[in-house]
Amino acid sequence: MDACPTLTRGAVVIDLIEAHDKELVERVRRRDEEAFRSLFARYAPAAKALAQRIVRQAHLAEEIVQEAFLAVWKNPGGYDGERGSVRSWLMGTVHHRAVDLVRREEAHRRRAEHAVVDVREEQADHADDVAVELDRPGEGALVRAALKGLPDEQREVIELMYFSGLSQSQIAERTGLPLGTVKSRTLLGMRRLRVALVGVER
Amino acid sequence: MTLDHTLIEELLAVRSLGGLDGEDLETLERELTEHGACEECRQLRDGFDQTAGRLAFALEPLPVDPTMANRILSEAWGREAPAVDELAERRTGRWRRALAVAASFVVLIAGVAVLRDTVGVDLVALQRFLVLEGGEGSLALAYTPGERGIVVWGQDLPDPGAGNVYELWAFADGTPISQGCLEPSNGNLAAFLNAEIGDAQLMAVTVESAACPDSPTTVPVYTGELV
Repeated sequence: MDACPTLTRGAVVIDLIEAHDKELVERVRRRDEEAFRSLFARYAPAAKALAQRIVRQAHLAEEIVQEAFLAVWKNPGGYDGERGSVRSWLMGTVHHRAVDLVRREEAHRRRAEHAVVDVREEQADHADDVAVELDRPGEGALVRAALKGLPDEQREVIELMYFSGLSQSQIAERTGLPLGTVKSRTLLGMRRLRVALVGVER
Repeated sequence: MTLDHTLIEELLAVRSLGGLDGEDLETLERELTEHGACEECRQLRDGFDQTAGRLAFALEPLPVDPTMANRILSEAWGREAPAVDELAERRTGRWRRALAVAASFVVLIAGVAVLRDTVGVDLVALQRFLVLEGGEGSLALAYTPGERGIVVWGQDLPDPGAGNVYELWAFADGTPISQGCLEPSNGNLAAFLNAEIGDAQLMAVTVESAACPDSPTTVPVYTGELV
């Protein structure tokens, strides 16, 4: 009998990808341009999607991606292999820059209000991301399924925080939820996602 | 006061998503400092950071300007100039490769000139020659500005994968226009495309599904700028 075959194969594939990513970063440290191009080709499209979701402007998203990958080239030592995967580090870098940009901008409030409206009125918007592509293979489907598996109230705060760049206080203000509830829902949702995506109970 | 790990876990979860603000930011920093080299704190932080980083992949990837990687490297090298001999090696290497491709291409043009009547284009008279760079092997185009017809030649190209093909794009003002799909045979490619480069500033090749999509879905593996 094949014990848990899907999970096992999935885990092996992800490990191989991760091993190759780490090798690429190591080569970037040695100033290998082809390794940099490979890393860029592999992750820049996902990075742009993330940045554009947060800043909602394509040209700003491209700037963020460019700055983030320039930072990777200039300081590949910023990646600590003991702290996790290359792709999470890269996306964390992009996310941090995008959120910083959004919060610096004067127009943030207006944009954030739109974001709340978007998420509330167009649950199908994120649901599109989550549901429509579920039958596609690969990591995207895994992450979308994990998000879809969350209770609505947990998914909402996580999506507002991560994909719309809102802080916990902004979410509390715009949803009318107590700050403590925003934090506790975030924790519960992230615990579930951590199990589903990283395989860590705690 | 030292928080227990459940409360630290809550603040780390919010921080990993970029949502921590106000007093909680300072509280978390202070408590982490007080916990010192706390293995449980480290595991909680890394676990949530890993999880948050994966969320980005829930989104559909978006095409990126195919020249961006080159721009990043140019900017970086501009600031930290490589050694002179390194630059010279790069230039000569590129020229050696271009000349090798050009020599082979001339042979190809001569060989396929007999196709003139079939395709309606005088292959020998093609005026421009473009070497595409980026991926393994050699890939080049020949065409005449303002006229239809692009000859594509490739050697030692990587297999695009089962069910995949190479797709040639002409980028005009950042907009990609498909020029056609190509399937190498044992790494070799010799094809005529009934397409016109027009006002394109950049030619690029991506790996696409055999359906040959109307817009690129992956980052180019070969690019060449048109003078």
